[in-house]
Amino acid sequence: MATTVFIVDDSATILMSMEAILTKAGYAVAKAVSGEDAVTKLQGGFKPGLIITDIHMGAMNGIELIKKVRAMAGFQFVPILVVTTESQQSKRDEARAAKATGWLVKPVQPDDLTRVVKQILPHG
Amino acid sequence: MTDFPPSAAAASVRSAEHDASPAIPLAAASVLAACVAAGCVWAAIRFDPMGGVAAAGVAAALSVLPGYWLGRRWGAFPGRARKLMFRVADELAQYRAFTRLLRDQGDRITETTEDAALVIVAGLRDIDAQVAQVVAQIAAEVPLQAQDPLQRMARKIGDPVVEMLGKLQFQDVTRQQLAFLSKLSLVVDAHMIALAQQLGDRRSLDRVGEFKQMFAQALDDCVMPSQRQDHHVASDLDPTEEAGPKVELF
Repeated sequence: MATTVFIVDDSATILMSMEAILTKAGYAVAKAVSGEDAVTKLQGGFKPGLIITDIHMGAMNGIELIKKVRAMAGFQFVPILVVTTESQQSKRDEARAAKATGWLVKPVQPDDLTRVVKQILPHG
Repeated sequence: MTDFPPSAAAASVRSAEHDASPAIPLAAASVLAACVAAGCVWAAIRFDPMGGVAAAGVAAALSVLPGYWLGRRWGAFPGRARKLMFRVADELAQYRAFTRLLRDQGDRITETTEDAALVIVAGLRDIDAQVAQVVAQIAAEVPLQAQDPLQRMARKIGDPVVEMLGKLQFQDVTRQQLAFLSKLSLVVDAHMIALAQQLGDRRSLDRVGEFKQMFAQALDDCVMPSQRQDHHVASDLDPTEEAGPKVELF
């Protein structure tokens, strides 16, 4: 069974285009439209193989989401990629401190995205 | 254009038109009172009590003329300056219509591009699925020796799909850029309202934020390097920023 990649973004365009790219690459995809939505789904027992999150979202931003997820039982080692328009070093450092796995700057090339996902999920 | 009601600031300036500015008339009144008092003291010393009172009356009457002149000359802002203040306060308040229009247009662009992008994504996925179906059908139904060119042709149709899906991220980038402009226009709005209020209220001098602080706030609100670079250029600073790698695993 294909590993599920969980995409968290408040942009419908990003959710759909990333879903299409990753589905074509052979992954199952689940989506959340906000940090809160993502937390609810994860607390409900959903356990993806990889989480991809945006930084600039509504009430809960991506860094807060990473911290929340890392604090949840069983999610300490689930890889979390940040995909954002932001490329400032201080923000990267924040994400690293929150225990993110990696950082991709939007717009991200589909090849880059699938390559990184394959690197993180070699058996996906 | 939306016709906004005059702001409280403009109203406060307008109501001030009918008030005399208190500082100058008080000074004029003090001069006048001093003149009257001096006249009375002088008359009391110089003449008998009754004559002194009469002289005081004459002195007071005479002092009305310079008092009136002082009041006319310095007692209030000249009318033209006042009218200019109302005009500026009104105009500042009306700018909200423009900034709101800018924000609404930004929202409209976001909606339109998002609708279009979603239709394109759905179309591309459909094309991709159909190409996969055609390739499978060729494999199942076409004689082996004829399969290769047909499959190559079908795959060629599907090849650009993934790249096009990636390019659609432009819509999210544009959305965030427009959201930033919207935020900036709200900052400008708040500042214009504060300035309009200041026109009618001397105490507001300390309450109006400085432009420099607003501009620094705008830098904090940036969410991508291109915005910070534009901000640096507007501030006459070196726009180069170390953006870091586009892909980085920690």
